[in-house]
Amino acid sequence: MSSADLTGDATRRSFTGRRVRFGDVSLQALAGAAAAAATFLVFLIAFKVVRGAQPAIEKYGLHFVTRVAWDPVKNVYGAGSFLFGTALTSLLALAIAAPLAIGIALFLTELAPRRLRGPVTALVETLAAIPSVVIGLWGILVLGPVLRDQVEPALHGALGFIPLFGAPSSTGSSVFTAIVVLTIMILPIVASISRELFLGVPRDLKEGALALGTTRWEMVRGVVFPYARGGIAAALILGLGRAIGEAIAVTQVIGGGVGIHWNLFDTGDTLASKIAASYQGAQNDIQVASLVYLGLILLVFSLVMNASAQVIVRRAARRQGVGLRSGGAG
Amino acid sequence: MSTHSLTKAALRAEGLPRRRAVNRLMELLAWLAAALAVAILGIVVWSVARRGAGALNLDLITKTPVQFSFTPVRQGLANAFAGSLVIVGIATAMALPVAILVAVYLNEFARAGIRTAVSLTLDVLNGVPAIVIGIFVYGLLVVGRGQSAFAGSFALACIMLPLVARSTMEVLALVPSSLREASLALGVPRWRTTLSIVLPQTIGGIVTGTVLAVARVAGETAPLLFVSSLVGTQVSWDPHHALQTVPVAIFELAESPDPADHTRAWAAALVLLLFILVASLGARWLATRSSRRLSASR
Amino acid sequence: MRTLALAAAVVATAVAAGTAAATPTRHAGTALVGAGSTFVAPLVSQWATPLAAAYGYELQYSPIGSGGGINAITSRTVDFGASDAPLSPDQFTACKGCAQIPWALSATSVFYNLNGVKPLLHMDGPTLAKIFAGRITSWNDPAIKKLNPGVSLPAEKIATVHRSDNSGTTFNFTDYLSSVSPAWRSATGRGVAVNWPVGTGAKGSSGVAAAVGQTPGAIGYADVAYAEANHLKFFAMKNRSGKFTTPGLRGIIAAATSDQKPDASNALSIVNPPKKYPLAYPISTYTYVIVPLQSSKAAPLKKFLFWAVTKGQAFGPKLLFQPIPKSVLVVAEKTIAKIHG
Repeated sequence: MSSADLTGDATRRSFTGRRVRFGDVSLQALAGAAAAAATFLVFLIAFKVVRGAQPAIEKYGLHFVTRVAWDPVKNVYGAGSFLFGTALTSLLALAIAAPLAIGIALFLTELAPRRLRGPVTALVETLAAIPSVVIGLWGILVLGPVLRDQVEPALHGALGFIPLFGAPSSTGSSVFTAIVVLTIMILPIVASISRELFLGVPRDLKEGALALGTTRWEMVRGVVFPYARGGIAAALILGLGRAIGEAIAVTQVIGGGVGIHWNLFDTGDTLASKIAASYQGAQNDIQVASLVYLGLILLVFSLVMNASAQVIVRRAARRQGVGLRSGGAG
Repeated sequence: MSTHSLTKAALRAEGLPRRRAVNRLMELLAWLAAALAVAILGIVVWSVARRGAGALNLDLITKTPVQFSFTPVRQGLANAFAGSLVIVGIATAMALPVAILVAVYLNEFARAGIRTAVSLTLDVLNGVPAIVIGIFVYGLLVVGRGQSAFAGSFALACIMLPLVARSTMEVLALVPSSLREASLALGVPRWRTTLSIVLPQTIGGIVTGTVLAVARVAGETAPLLFVSSLVGTQVSWDPHHALQTVPVAIFELAESPDPADHTRAWAAALVLLLFILVASLGARWLATRSSRRLSASR
Repeated sequence: MRTLALAAAVVATAVAAGTAAATPTRHAGTALVGAGSTFVAPLVSQWATPLAAAYGYELQYSPIGSGGGINAITSRTVDFGASDAPLSPDQFTACKGCAQIPWALSATSVFYNLNGVKPLLHMDGPTLAKIFAGRITSWNDPAIKKLNPGVSLPAEKIATVHRSDNSGTTFNFTDYLSSVSPAWRSATGRGVAVNWPVGTGAKGSSGVAAAVGQTPGAIGYADVAYAEANHLKFFAMKNRSGKFTTPGLRGIIAAATSDQKPDASNALSIVNPPKKYPLAYPISTYTYVIVPLQSSKAAPLKKFLFWAVTKGQAFGPKLLFQPIPKSVLVVAEKTIAKIHG
């Protein structure tokens, strides 16, 4: 800790001394009120969501989480089908995106010629900036037909014995399209966090390994990955959290089916996507409350993901004795 | 893999050709991954550009939509562009002052414990999915009252708040303490120091953070889906009523059977994408410039 | 940086000014906000301009589906809702003092995407029910061939498309299927949303039309105006008297003669009319506007609704909406008069 930090702490103290200037107290009060409001907002969100879900919680209890039915006719609702869809799409998207993203990050930190690094990094971050509705539009009108006409029949023909690759979709709207879309959306997040992590690996550790005669890949496997292990885990969890919470692009391409189907080319639905599709058209109180209940489950998942990522980051930082943000050639 | 095993591997000279081959394979895979990322981005942007550029004409921002017609008729999305300007503008006006105040409080006044706690809640707010924010604002502001652009702006402000607060905190932390100490030593009151000395140093960072947050919420659809979606076709600047926005318009047009609707969706997507790209690149450029300026002043 | 910000501000102002100057902006008059049925949307969209000309009202209508319309008016986020499915007693209770008023009359067409086959293929209720139940899966099934003698049907797979959102059109369609097929009635039943045994879901009438238009071999259902607008071929349905009728004005008005007396809640049922209406198209339906009897916008709402059920009906025929018959008009006007502030 530098002397600047020590003084910083001193200047950061709240003003309770003798000469209490009106301006100082006002600023502190105003700023404090803003901070209090921001904190209150989070609790208000949680409260409102729980309150909105209450009729459904009272009616279905925790069984809601496992029930697979979503029957507007008999007014029986459950989250099981959408939990399955969320898990299937997000985990598979992460499974595809993770190695790609780590590969991109390795490319950008170890392999790319200096001239390429800047532009490719900018490109990856631009991919992150594309709004989900635009990716969804592209998914419906460009990706869907290509998957329906070429990719899915090919996969079904080659790997049809696996239940995942059953009969191809007839409209291009399927769990598979949603997985491709989600992969595209979480790729840049995981890639840019991994890239910053790899940049933070101390150069002397890497050069030491290379000096011992390891190949670049062995150095990556032996030095970079273990060093960045915690951060990569956090990046994966953040990417997973992003996939779980994505409503718009998924609802545009997933086809809105209910039930547990293992065929990726079938329609399906996720928690977020079901809310986006049905909320406006919900026709009675219990249906609305059930949709908010889905939102509550989604919120709980997101909070758990967020918290896990934080915990992992903090634990990894403590283990290494340095912050994950500091250091490294920026 | 410990250094011991690394050394052993390195000394195993006979395995060298295989190890070199594995290395080459991994390098190739990394190159392929990067090429794939570039390709995906290229494909998506090229799709939007090609299909949108053809439909990009003045009609898009000067004509309003026509809800149902048997024959093709000249229409556009003027109401959506106007509505987006209003909603994003009001959202920025809502979020920016609060975010700056929160950052000032956390950086200048709060003890370490409060700072961690409030930081944590900001992180939590950042992690709330946009669709849940939509549910929240619907229950808070829309039920019984009707949809409105104000409600939409509030929803977007909830998303912008943690983003702008975080980036403001980062630039506030970069301001050297010596600056604050010198000002206080000269007898300048605390509040004056913060407002006239410290904050001006951070304007660049605040603008960058705000521009990035605006670029992010300009494309947000989920929170507006049931908060500002029952809209009319005329251009309106009145925030008391629900206003159409560009992302919601794209969402609705994408589901339509009419290829003319799709063309307009592509055109609107292109405009949205260009806006976001210019804003993001501009913000990055601003960030590099102001960080250079700050580090030079140290 | 200052120049950049200035440039951005200039561009934004220019866009705003351009948009404001070049577009017809909304009048300072009253806005009447409504949402609901996609079925009636083609007709309501025709009303905006003449209504503004007559009274200066700004009519905003969002076709989000009948279920959404009922929900919106129940939570009073709109001034009026529109639904093709009449309200159930529970929905009336939840809506707290709402009335439903029949304000338009048209038909649900069942359309298909099959190349190389003549338009207006014949279809009947039981076969259609089996198709949507997944028991008939290809176009050259003997049941379909029997209805269309002499037409060569391909061996293509049938893909059914239904509404994924809560839809009054679904209510009308499943009401019809339930009345022609006891198997359908017990297995799936009728409602604004049902558990479809097979098929993909699409959002809104236009979504169904889109999905059918893009999927060879598909069959879907929506208000006939959507089939016409998208140049989709629809079936000639066999009615109870054995005739094959199409969803045109003649078929609709013949079906409407089968029930001319709205019940206590103003609902009418003209689905699958009995044998003595040989010209009737069996999947016709009224559609309703749902309004709170007490509203802060009572005066403009009444003026709008009086206009809609009288002068507004004139915009219907070219969209295949039959003007509502006199007996129904009388009841409608009596209910509208009850709205107060």
